[in-house]
Amino acid sequence: MKRLLIVFLALIIVPSAFAADSDLVQKAKAEGQVSFYANMTAIAPIMDVFNAQTGLAGKYTRISTSKFLATVLTEYQAGKLMADVLQAPLPVMQMLKAKGVLAPYTSASAADYPAWTRQDDQIQTFGIEYVGLIYNKELVKAADAPKRYEDLTDPRWKNKIVMANPASHATTISWLVGLKENVFKSEDKWMEFLKGLAANRPMLVKSFGPTPAPVESGEKHIAISMPKYIITKAPAPLDWARLEQPLMGTPRGIAISSSAKNPNAAKLFMDFWLTKKAMAKLSAEVGEYVLAPGVFPPIDGMDKAKVIPIRTLSEKEISSYGTMFKKIFKLH
Amino acid sequence: MEIKITNLSKYYYSGGKTIKALDNVSLSIPANRIFTLLGPSGCGKTTLLRCIVGLEAPDTGEIKIGEDTVLSTEENIFVPTENRGLGMVFQTYAIWPHMDVFNNVAYPLQTRKVPKDVIRSKVEKTLRFVQLEGFEDRPATKLSGGQQQRVALARALVAEPKVILFDEPLSNLDAKLREETRKDLRIFLTELQITAIYVTHDRIEALSLSDIVAVMNGGQIVEMGEPRDIYLNSNHRFVADFIGRTNLIEAKVTAQEESVTKVDCAIGSFACRKRADLNPGDNVTLCLRPEFIRLKRGGASEAQNVFNGQIESLVFIGEAFEGEIKIRESQIFIKTEPDSDIRVGDSANFAVDPDHCLLVIR
Amino acid sequence: MVNKRSVLTPALIALVGFLTVCPVVMLIFGSFSTGLGAFGEFTLDKYIQGYTDPELGGIILNTIIFVLGSSFVATGLALLLAYLNTRTDIPFKFMFRIISIIPMMIPHILFSVSWVLLLNPSNGLINLFLRQIPGLENLAINIYSLPGMILVEGLLDLPIAYLILAPAMASFDISLEESSKVCGGSTLRTLFRVTLPVLRPAILAAFILSLVRSLASFAVPSVIGMPGRIYVLATHIYQSIATGFAADFGKAAAIGMSVLATSITLIYVYRYLTSESEKYVTISSRGYRPSVIELKGARYPMFGLVGILSMILIVLPVLVLLYTSMVPYSMIPSAKAFSMMSWKHWIEVINDPISLLSLKNSVFLGVFGATLGVTLSIFVAYVIVKVRSHASGLLESLSFLSFSFPGIVIGVGFMWFFVRTPLYATIWTLLIGYIATYLPYGVRPLTSAFVQVHSHLEESSQVCGAGPFTTMRRIVIPLLIPGIVSGWILMATMFVRELTLSVVLSRPGTEVLAVQIFRFAEDGLWGQLSALGIMMIIISTALVLLATLVGMKFKPVEE
Ligand SMILES: Nc1ncnc2c1ncn2[C@@H]1O[C@H](COP(=O)(O)OP(=O)(O)O)[C@@H](O)[C@H]1O
Ligand SMILES: [Mg+2]
Repeated sequence: MKRLLIVFLALIIVPSAFAADSDLVQKAKAEGQVSFYANMTAIAPIMDVFNAQTGLAGKYTRISTSKFLATVLTEYQAGKLMADVLQAPLPVMQMLKAKGVLAPYTSASAADYPAWTRQDDQIQTFGIEYVGLIYNKELVKAADAPKRYEDLTDPRWKNKIVMANPASHATTISWLVGLKENVFKSEDKWMEFLKGLAANRPMLVKSFGPTPAPVESGEKHIAISMPKYIITKAPAPLDWARLEQPLMGTPRGIAISSSAKNPNAAKLFMDFWLTKKAMAKLSAEVGEYVLAPGVFPPIDGMDKAKVIPIRTLSEKEISSYGTMFKKIFKLH
Repeated sequence: MEIKITNLSKYYYSGGKTIKALDNVSLSIPANRIFTLLGPSGCGKTTLLRCIVGLEAPDTGEIKIGEDTVLSTEENIFVPTENRGLGMVFQTYAIWPHMDVFNNVAYPLQTRKVPKDVIRSKVEKTLRFVQLEGFEDRPATKLSGGQQQRVALARALVAEPKVILFDEPLSNLDAKLREETRKDLRIFLTELQITAIYVTHDRIEALSLSDIVAVMNGGQIVEMGEPRDIYLNSNHRFVADFIGRTNLIEAKVTAQEESVTKVDCAIGSFACRKRADLNPGDNVTLCLRPEFIRLKRGGASEAQNVFNGQIESLVFIGEAFEGEIKIRESQIFIKTEPDSDIRVGDSANFAVDPDHCLLVIR
Repeated sequence: MVNKRSVLTPALIALVGFLTVCPVVMLIFGSFSTGLGAFGEFTLDKYIQGYTDPELGGIILNTIIFVLGSSFVATGLALLLAYLNTRTDIPFKFMFRIISIIPMMIPHILFSVSWVLLLNPSNGLINLFLRQIPGLENLAINIYSLPGMILVEGLLDLPIAYLILAPAMASFDISLEESSKVCGGSTLRTLFRVTLPVLRPAILAAFILSLVRSLASFAVPSVIGMPGRIYVLATHIYQSIATGFAADFGKAAAIGMSVLATSITLIYVYRYLTSESEKYVTISSRGYRPSVIELKGARYPMFGLVGILSMILIVLPVLVLLYTSMVPYSMIPSAKAFSMMSWKHWIEVINDPISLLSLKNSVFLGVFGATLGVTLSIFVAYVIVKVRSHASGLLESLSFLSFSFPGIVIGVGFMWFFVRTPLYATIWTLLIGYIATYLPYGVRPLTSAFVQVHSHLEESSQVCGAGPFTTMRRIVIPLLIPGIVSGWILMATMFVRELTLSVVLSRPGTEVLAVQIFRFAEDGLWGQLSALGIMMIIISTALVLLATLVGMKFKPVEE
């Protein structure tokens, strides 16, 4: 029922929603379908709108970050890459670009995105996987929530923090390095922060996925996690700490595959994906932080937050920082 | 149907050692007779049987059942068990626990795609024959040992095989049942006019049941013949010993006379049944069966084959006395009538007819 | 017969070898190649990096404790349950059977998470409950510890052990026990001196299979071990590849090779230990209905004890799942929580077209895959037990090959392999991958079952004129029914919840349940996760019931 409604609505708004040039639409229609590999979740509603709007069959394959590169490269090297469009964290996209998996395309839909989102003619950055501090608002008063990252070193958070493993979780490693480069004044202050955090003995989990549950249930009070969970896990009593310092995250990129079987449909899809409307839906439904101007996730105060991208770290850097954090957090 | 076995060998390799389970066996089993393989445990009887039915693949040799060659290692022929058309009763009976009596017995007919009504009548007939009528619906797990044995027999017979084989089928039964079944089995098999191959380690079973006995030892056939012939006239020390209770005395040939061969042993000088193939000086074994030794109370005698000794022990076992007599330093098993008046400690003469003094080679 | 056997063995070796060796060979290539694929320039770096890690020693020690401990828990509990269930007159037997296989049906991440909710040191439900007892106010039983990991992994491996032990116990030749009693042995003495030693092959099989499984397990080490900062090989491998965005599965394979080697060694040790005793034949033709030991006065106390134990160990986590699926977010049970309960997560799952498609695919893979897998297992087990040559030893090791590899790595091996075939991205890759990886789930119960069928039963069928296939169909298979049912249940429930391969091999149109579950887990959506998990349990229960009923129908052993 709900889907029918979406289709119906979509049909009505088609003409105004996005005006792709009709030549591309014709060619794309001839191809009939488009395959999309993404590491993001919950984008089925957006696919539905796309399908309804264009009459194409958009198929979406979720591949988790840890297997993204292995999967795409394996398929690509065997000449069997099924994806027409690829979406992944920027570092992964850059590695794919280096292997020649991506094709150049500049979408008109992203014309008004910030300039830094388009550093080459292949990858378009459209969002930031932003990391924040999420706390249980039944157990922590807003006034007691951290104001600065340094507040996490306060002993009152001892045994109350949950975070992804800083020795192995790439996004968390990049985030900690991002703090050094964007937030802390000196390396010493940063080290002090890391040691203080480690001294509070945070519970370490595999990735961001398992971080909110212990906070919701009250097993822990605060998580280094993603504010988008406030949307996806509503009505859980979660809120985010409004910090004086900026929020940071790894950028998300999208690009067309160089071996796309449906290259026109791929372009059409990318055009669609980057429209304000699609991005607004992404933001509204799963709390994504997107870079289409003026679009913000419906999280109180997020429109005023400063969210900045983290520099892409090389694999070597990630692994050597991982080793360093392993020592600081006394793992093993 | 006649079975001809030529140069059959079967080796097992276990723990780095080679076991010659069958050592170049050649054998001809006459048609429609009860043929028994007799031998001590581990001598290769089961292996020979399994080679005939095709459950083992021999290393060399040839087997012919009637005109059909079912095995020839030279010509690379191996007819699978199921196509040899035989019947077999296993030592464990191998009654299938998940079927009732009817289905167990009907099985060989079912595999031969016999029509249903024929199956029913044949199964009924066979069950009647083995005296199990009315047991059709009985689960196989609810049978006594004797009944299981008869179901196994019925199953082996029902398809009227050319040859039926038995692997120690009575060894799981109690003594009385064993004796009865043995008698029944002889009657059944004779009536059926079928070639039967019967494996046992029990000499009484072998002697009483069979038309022909082959004695095996160490993977070889030692001797083969009619039961009485084997018992009385064996040429082999092993056979003579295995087939009945006997006294074996080491001896040396002293002379060949016209009707007897003379030997010397620890007891004295014996006149024995003539064996022309021996020469003076040959080492032989003298074989005296207790039942042929006649005892008389009395003093020493000079007659031929009469020796004086002292009764050492004597046990009354019902149909006879059994015991030992001591002559010089030797002890000899004896057997005498139940009404004998000889007692332990008596001095007695024992006499053997030269015809019952058998000379066998080692 | 002899000729046909000699064809069967190489044919099976070729088939099973092809299925299991290919992905492993790919992984071996990958572990020696530079770059991220299976075919790069030759290098030893991945091994050098993998094995010169100074932390490896401690990790191996943890792994040994974890693996041995959980296998003891699994085998011990399985023995107890199987014994009570098959050999005594304990009431409500059917319940025990269900209980002992429930953990088989629950996705392992979910089961581990349930235990975290029950026993985490801050607000685990059991801790909260026990703290109300005076004197225990400061109690904090910590699930994030080695004993905690051992307990949960042990429970997860319990069904495998149970399904191997129960059929063996059920078809035990009672006269062996009776003769012990006649010789003056008490019930307990008979149990320890006769019953258990005779069952040694089955017990060892259960133990070794648990060992191999817990060695490759990832759910418990990651959900329970990582937060407790206890690392075992599986999490170490994960750690070493997941650091960074370019996961190097070649390096993971390099470390995984030692796990593989250990498992294969274990399997050889097992074969050696049982090479004589596997000749124990416990189904004779004299009827194999085991007699029941009367517990008399102990009947209900015993039931109570085992009932409470299984309640806490198994039913409680399932209840936690049900609860989690109904509350809007992770919360401690309270008046507020109960007032907020709804079917929201269930409705979301039911309305999700991909969830429905994955439901359909999983049921297909479960039913069809298990049937095919058990059929193959019957032949493999036959060769392993009845042929017993060196070649059959090889076959047995082959059947364990992909199974022994840590799950996160073997999936990539299969991908590297399948991408070179036209099957890639079809549901058949999943089917073949599942069967190849979980072959031991079919082969193990069937070898136990085969061991118990006296060869005379089979040979006499041949003498009666039946060919190998008729003999198989009419004699061997009916006698194997308990083993077949066990194998089918193990495979079907495994396939319904399979994750590690699916997550790599599934593509649009071939989504399966576990992949959906995994997506929910990655997004932290425990509510939907639990709802789908319970649906999965319901489907698996239906499959188990189906298999049991069909098994009873086809098992013509008359009472
Ligand atoms: N499968 C086997 N493997 C190794 N040795 C065997 C095997 N079967 C029989 N043997 C050996 O072969 C010899 C003959 O065995 P068998 O024919 O069973 O003797 P029996 O005369 O008691 O029936 C014995 O020494 C036995 O140990
Ligand atoms: Mg024998």
